[in-house]
Amino acid sequence: MTATLLKASTRPPRLVRVWRYRELLRGLVVRNLKVKYQRSLLGFVWTLVNPLLTVTILVVVFSHVVRIQVPDYWAFLLSGYFVWNFMLQTLNTGTYIFTEHSRLIRSVAFPSEILVFGAAGSRLIEFCAEIALILVALTVMHHHHLPASYALLPVLILIQLLLAIGLALPIATLSVFYHDVYHALPIALTTLFYLSPVFYPARMVPEAARPFYFLNPIAGLLTLYQDVVYAGRLPDPLLLFGTASAAVVICLVGYAIFRRYAGVFAEIA
Amino acid sequence: MPSSAATPASSLKSPEPAALPAVEFRDVSKRFYFYEHRTSSLREWFIRRVLHRPIHVRHTAFSLRDIDLRVDAGESVALLGANGSGKSTVLRLVAGIYHASSGVVETNGRITAVIELGAGFHPELTGAENVGLYAAVLGLTRKELAERYEEIVEFAAMEGFLDTPLKYYSSGMEARLAFSVAVCLQPAILLLDEVLAVGDRAFRHRCLERLRMFHARGGTLLLVSHELEQVRELCTRGVWLRDGQVVMDGDIESVLTAYRAGPG
Repeated sequence: MTATLLKASTRPPRLVRVWRYRELLRGLVVRNLKVKYQRSLLGFVWTLVNPLLTVTILVVVFSHVVRIQVPDYWAFLLSGYFVWNFMLQTLNTGTYIFTEHSRLIRSVAFPSEILVFGAAGSRLIEFCAEIALILVALTVMHHHHLPASYALLPVLILIQLLLAIGLALPIATLSVFYHDVYHALPIALTTLFYLSPVFYPARMVPEAARPFYFLNPIAGLLTLYQDVVYAGRLPDPLLLFGTASAAVVICLVGYAIFRRYAGVFAEIA
Repeated sequence: MPSSAATPASSLKSPEPAALPAVEFRDVSKRFYFYEHRTSSLREWFIRRVLHRPIHVRHTAFSLRDIDLRVDAGESVALLGANGSGKSTVLRLVAGIYHASSGVVETNGRITAVIELGAGFHPELTGAENVGLYAAVLGLTRKELAERYEEIVEFAAMEGFLDTPLKYYSSGMEARLAFSVAVCLQPAILLLDEVLAVGDRAFRHRCLERLRMFHARGGTLLLVSHELEQVRELCTRGVWLRDGQVVMDGDIESVLTAYRAGPG
């Protein structure tokens, strides 16, 4: 116990060490994108094909079979679906990121959260490209003018990033100890897909259930995106503030859980 | 056991009180825990719960036990011993990859640890891209890398291959590239874990030259190797470990003589 305390005092604080390794973070983001897109003719198009196919199916089903009463349903769906897709992929990465890099963790002393940040970072760059295309499409075909609410997007993206990292870190930590996470997470995420306002607006949820419904911070995040991108209006300040606070708290707690166990990853991963 | 030849570490070098040691271990132990639940699953957990069987069966194994070791700046020390005697654990503790179970590990100066060559290399990236990534893994900023890039490439002597993806490299070439990055970083303390056996003869010769130069400039070297001739050339001091304890610590010739005569 004394040893750990003494040791900790001689080392710089964790976040200082992370900052010193910012070059590695940049390197990992570039590597992830390069490895994904090199030697592929269509490159980024493939990243869009899968979610767009799902969006198309959802549009057909929910505007012609089960009719959800939302004008320009395609625009509504686009404003949230890619956010959901970002969360899904970043959280899934958490289940294998440390085992994938176990050789590295065993042989170099570096702050291993950089691996999670790098995965989220490269995914975020893709997301920014996606949302840019969506904004263009919605401005031209849905709003027919440029809504001022778009200015709030950087804030939403920051909330989204904090939330993704805050959830991915404990998932990645747990995955080092239990392989079950790898099997359980897809089930949990499928459940969460239906419990989040991805393909229906949150106002369709019965009033009585809504306080519980919004305990899911992803529900808040998606509603914010739908307000800003689809409705083109400023969101409810209470929702914005609440979701931002939840994201910060989740990020701090998730990081604390990760830090509690990060010291033994080199012995286990 | 050649205990008669053993020299206590303290009598070898009169420690200068003013200078900070490069590495100091005070009463360091490292325990590893093996949990039986490690690779098990929720199903197993549930069955054990129901049957009131223990869920965590914890085995303890000592890798190091009460080690005291002081390495002064500018020393070159070889760690000798059979597989599993704790040599790599010492290096990982110095590097900060492992944390001591008890005792204190202190280090002064920038450390580069080469425990596994090319950890962090990605087969799809080119040699040049991998150099950048590996340097970043070892803690170099972009500016520092830019200053050393030419030197790294020159040392590896493989200019023609730098734009080729790493997966087309032979394993010797890959190791050469990784080693070149590691030795060109100019850390204060360099840790090498059985990585000297890379490349062809000419490259190995240059590696040894390089390490001698590193030592001559005042760098501290901690080396794990089973190639005793190399060890004799490079190191001035030997530390022989067995079952996580120091058997002998002294000048390299006498430790090597005893080590060769002793059982493993």
